[in-house]
Amino acid sequence: MKKQITSEPFIVRISLTFIALAFLTLFLILPLIAIFVKAFDQGLDVYIASITEPDALSAIKLTLLVVSITVPLNTLFGIFAAWLIAKFNFKGKSVLTTIIDIPFSISPVIAGLIFVLLFGAQSSLGQWLIDHNMKIIFAVPGIVLATLFVTFPFVARELIPVMQMQGKSEEEASLSLGASGLKTFFYVTLPNIKWGLLYGVILCSARAIGEFGAVSVVSGHIRGLTNTMTLHIEILYNEYQFTAAFAVASLMSILAIITLIIKNVIEYRDGGSRA
Amino acid sequence: MSIVIENVSKSFGSFQALKNINLKIETGELVALLGPSGSGKTTLLRIIAGLEDPDEGVIHFENKEVTHLHTAKRKVGYVFQHYALFKHMTVFENIAYGLKVLPKKKRPSKQEIEEKVTKLLQLIKLEAFRDRYPSQLSGGQKQRVALARALAVEPKLLLLDEPFGALDAKVRKELRRWLRQLHENFQITSIFVTHDQEEALDVANRIVVMNEGKIEQIGTPQDVYENPKTPFVYNFLGNVNIFEGHLQNGKLIHGSVAFAVPNANKNKTGSAYGYVRPHELVLSRESDSSQSLEATIVHVHHIGRTVNIELKRNDNGQLIEAEITREEFDSLNVQIGDSVFVTPVNMHIFQNKKTGAESL
Repeated sequence: MKKQITSEPFIVRISLTFIALAFLTLFLILPLIAIFVKAFDQGLDVYIASITEPDALSAIKLTLLVVSITVPLNTLFGIFAAWLIAKFNFKGKSVLTTIIDIPFSISPVIAGLIFVLLFGAQSSLGQWLIDHNMKIIFAVPGIVLATLFVTFPFVARELIPVMQMQGKSEEEASLSLGASGLKTFFYVTLPNIKWGLLYGVILCSARAIGEFGAVSVVSGHIRGLTNTMTLHIEILYNEYQFTAAFAVASLMSILAIITLIIKNVIEYRDGGSRA
Repeated sequence: MSIVIENVSKSFGSFQALKNINLKIETGELVALLGPSGSGKTTLLRIIAGLEDPDEGVIHFENKEVTHLHTAKRKVGYVFQHYALFKHMTVFENIAYGLKVLPKKKRPSKQEIEEKVTKLLQLIKLEAFRDRYPSQLSGGQKQRVALARALAVEPKLLLLDEPFGALDAKVRKELRRWLRQLHENFQITSIFVTHDQEEALDVANRIVVMNEGKIEQIGTPQDVYENPKTPFVYNFLGNVNIFEGHLQNGKLIHGSVAFAVPNANKNKTGSAYGYVRPHELVLSRESDSSQSLEATIVHVHHIGRTVNIELKRNDNGQLIEAEITREEFDSLNVQIGDSVFVTPVNMHIFQNKKTGAESL
């Protein structure tokens, strides 16, 4: 084989590969295996019992509910915000870009506290809500709000560079050919951003499933009512029910792995039809 | 479709892209908007297409005002500089797009679309490429697909932004011929933007020369080339030699030389600039009265039947370009380093390099 100008000596290549693999194994693969080993520590029966007991089931249901509300909302918002920022010039554009990034820079615990202060019993808005029999804090709406806040930037952040790179000439071409704004969006814009969008949605879902800090502050930890999967795991762990904790944790890992597989399958299929 | 543009101005922030533009284009014309980058030509084209809103002024298509009409309703075919083909659609789907997005009532049937697109594919000679994606096409092919896509909706006006800008010389020439032919066959009113004077002179039947957001001159290719109205047009269309001097008795006095100015107004005086095209210079071995400059040949460049000669004036070192025929060059019998006399046979006088206030 001819030596390429960009290649390194054999020994360097081998050691670099080894370091990368060792790192991956130590920090990614081993912990993942550990979760499953611990989860099945006391046999399949205990595993199944841990994930089918009523509190666990309600935690799973709540997490899925939160994801199914927050991800579509943040996807819509993300597309809209990215579209505004990438394709138009207006006053306050840089302010909007900065605001989108706030959830990234604020600690989730503080994000949760913001909602407690805003909607909790000690604020006038919270008092008004209590008077009108609406519960936000220590209830499902609070958890949804906190998760919405934390997962806010994922889709928009993923789409803005994609859209900026593509410019707007394809959209202009579509409009000049007589297509309405809506048709232009569905026929031209959306197909062009679908990979960025899918990636953003996956990251957003993963974060929504895994969010702990913000949710922990607003949830109130009411078993069977306001416990999400992450909160349920924490409670189990604190009660020394390690096997049950890891059983639920393994379920979350499986969810994460499935989303990654879906992403790869779609990418592979579409990749085949295009050059 | 005829177009009337009245008092159109447009600014981007503090940059004024267009300053009070007035232009009338008749049905069936093929007009070139010619100018350097930043002259506002693309902005004007985009305003005509409705992709940009003018700050001031009105635009009429035929007798209808369209100043603020949405692009989608203008029925204008627009060919973008970098084609802007839909990357995720095949050639066929790209061309069919404009028909597919028509409202249900006006949309042709699937079979009609198929027939029409097939016809357009034949026109652009890309029948074999109908299922390819844009990324699998060459620049020239993409350009033709972009044209076919614009033509599919049967526009009354075709706008092309630097249509041949990104193509190599040979393909460019071919497409130029093709566009001219297309225009002859379909008689669609067409406007194209270019910074290439040769392209404008070759394709258009009228040229609008633009500079710094203003129209410098409008006329036929022959007109703008032979009778430039401003120093800018003189400079931009073809090469030119500029001699600085002052006017006296209908002559441009320039050091020891006095150039006779044809049709000069004898009463004008003051400093002035004489503009002379390279082919309007005669070279000779002997001095020809007081009208000649002495210069040394520094470079000789043969292109087919013409010879371009670069000379350096002996008195002040200014470079002069001359263009003579092969026969003239042979009979002159000179080589690099030889001294010759240069005599302008025609000269255009401007009193101000920028505004071009004329003395004629």
